[in-house]
Amino acid sequence: MSESAPGGKISRVVADGVNSGEQRSLWQDASRRFRRNWLAVGGLVVVFCFLITALVGPHVSPYDFLEQNIMRAFQGPSEEHFLGTDDLGRDVFSRMLHGARTAALVAFFTTAISLLIGVLVGTWAGISGGRTDEFLMWISDLIQAMPGLLLVILINTTLRRPIINAFDTLYMQTRNPFYLNTLWLDYVLVFSALALIGWPGLARLIRGQVLSINEEDYVLAARAIGASEAHIMLRHVIPNALGPLVVAVTASMGGAVTLEAGLSFLGIGIQPPNASWGSMLEEGRRYWQIFPHLILIPAVTIGIVQVAFVFLGDGLNDALDPRRTT
Amino acid sequence: MATFLLIRLLRWSVGLLLILFITYAMMYYGAGDPIRMMFIQGEDFDTEDEVVMLALRKKYGLDEPFLVQFGNYMSNLIQGDWGRSIRLQVDRPVLEIVQFRLPISMQLGFAATIIGAVVGIGLGILSALHHNRLLDRLIVSIVLFVNGIPVFVTVPILLLLLVLQLKLIDVPYGWNGLFHIDAVLPVTVISIGVLPIIVRQTRSAMLEVKSQQYVTTARAKGVPESRIILRHMLRPVLTPVITTLGLIMIGLINGSLFVEYILNIPGFGLLTIEGIKKVDYPIIMAVAVVGTLIIFVSNFLVDIIYPILDPRVRA
Repeated sequence: MSESAPGGKISRVVADGVNSGEQRSLWQDASRRFRRNWLAVGGLVVVFCFLITALVGPHVSPYDFLEQNIMRAFQGPSEEHFLGTDDLGRDVFSRMLHGARTAALVAFFTTAISLLIGVLVGTWAGISGGRTDEFLMWISDLIQAMPGLLLVILINTTLRRPIINAFDTLYMQTRNPFYLNTLWLDYVLVFSALALIGWPGLARLIRGQVLSINEEDYVLAARAIGASEAHIMLRHVIPNALGPLVVAVTASMGGAVTLEAGLSFLGIGIQPPNASWGSMLEEGRRYWQIFPHLILIPAVTIGIVQVAFVFLGDGLNDALDPRRTT
Repeated sequence: MATFLLIRLLRWSVGLLLILFITYAMMYYGAGDPIRMMFIQGEDFDTEDEVVMLALRKKYGLDEPFLVQFGNYMSNLIQGDWGRSIRLQVDRPVLEIVQFRLPISMQLGFAATIIGAVVGIGLGILSALHHNRLLDRLIVSIVLFVNGIPVFVTVPILLLLLVLQLKLIDVPYGWNGLFHIDAVLPVTVISIGVLPIIVRQTRSAMLEVKSQQYVTTARAKGVPESRIILRHMLRPVLTPVITTLGLIMIGLINGSLFVEYILNIPGFGLLTIEGIKKVDYPIIMAVAVVGTLIIFVSNFLVDIIYPILDPRVRA
């Protein structure tokens, strides 16, 4: 069906009714609704740009993001340094590009880990029901009731030392140089801490989907005409559960980006010399009255990416839920 | 009803105990030896210190097995002995520090909640009354927008704008009481943090109530619109808003962490960050206890208040 069909909404509805041979899938419907929401489309474009930047940005950055040059510290934007230089004379633009990669990595892995745990726990709870269900939901309630930030900070600070110690011992035993490199430790800690507070929301959502869709009349109908369980799963349960899940995953990615920036801002997340927007904000904060660009650039970037994620999530939510009329 | 509350209380208390246990275990196995930490300023300490450390460890009961230590900690906690700070304000009782720090954050949070609730409920009702019209779309979009921007981005940008560009205020720094001009920025920013939850909840509740038959009846009888809103709609709208108290509290705690850190306000949030950065484990434990307790108590309060406000839930 062409987008620019002549005639208004009414004639289209009538046409749809008459020409019943024409079918639109859930996704075609959703994309039609989504495209009408220009805020959401804008969000999608920004998020897409952010992901592309994270992917190729570090390879096209004009300078090494670690290269220091004290002689050129605190420069404003110029032809040589597109966004100026920071307190150690590092190129801000190159650091922003690397920060994008950090943020995207955290968003991706955090969401992947929470999704994995969430799907496992959610389906387990939904299918088994009874005591198991009650217990699993109690655990996820507890985690959700905790102030998430507090929990993340706690995990991040307490797990670092045991892991480093364990790796030291492993190195002593095996002399494998792999155990000496702990640069990625920040990342792993941030992923696991964020995933730990992220999975309960997804698990609860998936459990709800499994429970409610299994009760639906169309599942019963499919079962009544002798459809196989696999067919029901693939044709009915998964497509119907996917919409809310896509929304939740978008929200989770946006949330992870914020939390990572926040943690790094507090000096607990990604540690220097790794580049993170949050730690750039924190470094810039020391000189904000004299060199406001050092704080403005990461702050505005984080703000734009966050708002984009929120609008994208909201647009998807509206588009993928046919019952919602707003 | 009583059994319902009792079960709830039991669930929350067991949960609280479990979380404290996990936190304690994490500190015990993860944070390192607290006595050693008291001594380390640089990296070096000599053998003489080892003897002193052993004695100190014995004195604080830190040579006991883990479970005994946790039991001791819990019984001391209930009796009001929260331990002493080991690095932040050395040897000062933790309870005393918390008693000094928490009220500052509570004042900020209280002021922010009131502002957030008044503005949020107002905007939510306004938005629902203009459902799907320009004003509604505008409010919803702005709330979404505000919701997206994290506190640690808002505050620096506001500082740049208000202090450097417009020169409206001086740099707010530290704590000079709630009614000092310096408190305006933190209260505003924290209330912005809780605003979206309240607006969204009010709006959806209002939309539901709007189409109820008793509202139509009242309108048919010729009751003035303002009276319908105040007498017939407000209570069913406010009831679901109350249930977000737990979420609001989480918003307050998260907000105060960043705002207090940036503006150097010596409240509960700053205490958390200082405690973590200095690995002051009695402080971290206390922060976890108080933070979790606040959330759990507010969730429990919702469980109690909700049936009072909404007769349909009463069992």
